[in-house]
Amino acid sequence: MELGARVRFDYALVASKLPEIFHALGITLYTWILGLVGACALGFLVAVARRYGPRPLDLALGGYVELFRGTPFLIQLFLLYFGGPYAGLSLDAIPAGLLGLSVYGAAYFSEIFRGGFEAVPRGHVEAGECVGLSRAQIIGRILLPEMTMLVLPASVNMAIILMKETAVLSVVTVPELTLTISAIGTEFYAFVECLFLLALFYWGLTEICSWLGRIGEARLARFRFAAA
Amino acid sequence: MTPIIFGLLVEAALYTVVISGVSIVIGFLIGMCVSAARLSSNRAFAIPARVFVSFFRGVPLLVQLLLIYNLLPVIGINVPSVVAAVVGLSLCTAAYQAENLRGGFASVPRGLLEAADMAGLTPFQQLLRIRVPIAFRLTLPSLVNEAILILKASSLVSVVGVIELTRMAQNLDTSLYEPLQLYSAAGLLYFIINRALAFAGTAAERRWNWGRA
Amino acid sequence: MSEPAIVVRRLSKRFGETEVLHEIDLEVAQGQATCVIGPSGSGKSTLLRCLAFLEEANAGTIEVHGEPLGFTEDAAGRRARLPPQRIRAVRKQIGMVFQQFNLWPHMTALGNVSEALKTVRRLPRAEAEARAMAQLRKIGLENRAGHYPAQLSGGQQQRVAIARALALEPKIMLFDEATASLDPELTGEVLNVMRALAADGMTMVIVTHEIGFAASIGRKIAFLDKGRVLLAGAPQDVFRKPRHPRIDQFLDTYLDRGAAMLI
Repeated sequence: MELGARVRFDYALVASKLPEIFHALGITLYTWILGLVGACALGFLVAVARRYGPRPLDLALGGYVELFRGTPFLIQLFLLYFGGPYAGLSLDAIPAGLLGLSVYGAAYFSEIFRGGFEAVPRGHVEAGECVGLSRAQIIGRILLPEMTMLVLPASVNMAIILMKETAVLSVVTVPELTLTISAIGTEFYAFVECLFLLALFYWGLTEICSWLGRIGEARLARFRFAAA
Repeated sequence: MTPIIFGLLVEAALYTVVISGVSIVIGFLIGMCVSAARLSSNRAFAIPARVFVSFFRGVPLLVQLLLIYNLLPVIGINVPSVVAAVVGLSLCTAAYQAENLRGGFASVPRGLLEAADMAGLTPFQQLLRIRVPIAFRLTLPSLVNEAILILKASSLVSVVGVIELTRMAQNLDTSLYEPLQLYSAAGLLYFIINRALAFAGTAAERRWNWGRA
Repeated sequence: MSEPAIVVRRLSKRFGETEVLHEIDLEVAQGQATCVIGPSGSGKSTLLRCLAFLEEANAGTIEVHGEPLGFTEDAAGRRARLPPQRIRAVRKQIGMVFQQFNLWPHMTALGNVSEALKTVRRLPRAEAEARAMAQLRKIGLENRAGHYPAQLSGGQQQRVAIARALALEPKIMLFDEATASLDPELTGEVLNVMRALAADGMTMVIVTHEIGFAASIGRKIAFLDKGRVLLAGAPQDVFRKPRHPRIDQFLDTYLDRGAAMLI
């Protein structure tokens, strides 16, 4: 079959491309991890601001969340990367990708954290108030630890989703894996094979992350309490 | 932004809705089969089903689309790009829907099946009369959710050259140089469609809610 | 005295390491209510579920009107599993009412009661629904026939569940803590239905916490403790003083709940 005949295992050729591939891998992981951290941090701030801030802020941030969860990530990236300069925001590909990923992910994480806040039994918070803990102390020493266990599965899920979304960054010329491997594939007339390997790579990465997530959940399961 | 331009976007949005709708339906049918295979005690069915679900949920949709778009011609299937796009979207959503259905089936309370046992229903009758209707109603919210996700994901088919909302906005941008207006308008259209979907979903859930408030 | 409806011989059941039923011997007479009582964890629900073949015992036999249920055991203790059709044939004579009602939520009350008549007995729709309505009328819920379980109170749901079981005209009715999930003011309506059934001469096996009810309706009481039948007999014999110490201990927790009518 044509497919197999065109696979060339010319090791010198592959070796010459390895540095480029590793660099691309680095970009993928870099944008993913940084984007994830940004999304978590921003999402958490939004969740806290919505819960403990003034009502107009809650509504405004709610609008942001609805908007960014209700529109495609690609459109958001296009707006930022191609439309940004017209609004005075000129970003290179990678920073734009990072910002886009963070803001997009934050909308989802804010909902996850909001759900987490609400899932902690009210009684635990009230007990904290009764013994005189301050707002900050209640958040830090009661809500957050209990929330961590509750939001872990959804957060791991979201982290994996963000990892897959890094592929979309290729459309705005971020030199991550999808863009790089596609280019190599075109260069060597082995587009399908390369893409298939790319798919296998992402698949493997997703499975590993899911597996790690399950282990993390199992570890934290001992803190599970009989809530409602 | 002139009405003509906006009209072009709206027309493209209709293509988006059609592409998404077809993919969701095909994906649901495939997802049901995969789910059934997954639940089967025959490992020749169960294992490929698990691999299918794992692969199509673990690989980014963009990579899936690129792969299928380029793979089909190579193995001799020459179809218009929109068909390849629908195939890609369908397979992806099928994997997610299979998972949702699996969850739905698992959530059917065991006691209801025991009552069916006592009433004398055979396993097949239980599947048809009890498990499927209840699993469907339990899965409905995630089905609506999946529809919304596919609608957003359909923006990626622009990358393989299919004319839908995102692609139209891109094409217009190359001649008009108005990315802010164009992509905002496109985003707004996506948002409106999603809202409508969510509303329809809530209405559907209420209709099938067995008289609950 | 006619032959017993159910004969249980040396029934044993283990869940993993834990032995839940230990060589239970029990006879359930025809046309009477037999009540099984005992502390939590004594295995009474498990025993009932074995009678319905919802759990499979590890050893021992159950005979329903002379027919073995599920397994036969020869003199040497070797068990042979009966084919599914024979199990189903025996099960047809048994109806079960669950603690959690287990009404099918996507069907109306009428739908629930008529379902088996339509699907299993293959009666035409009109006849199945007519029979179902008759059952609902007997328990006083004919004006709720078109309601879904979610729209009914707990007591109403349980009564529909009883009607559903009765629609198939079983010879034996099993009740697994039928009122345990109900608010106290709703148990009365269900207990009344059960009383009427007993008065009609239905063979019943009732697992219950309602000791007063058990003593009044049961012609035979079986007290289970830690998987064994401690005592079985007529209520006055089981509850007569001087009582078995375990029974005393058990009843202590109930006496202040209105079971003082016991001797």
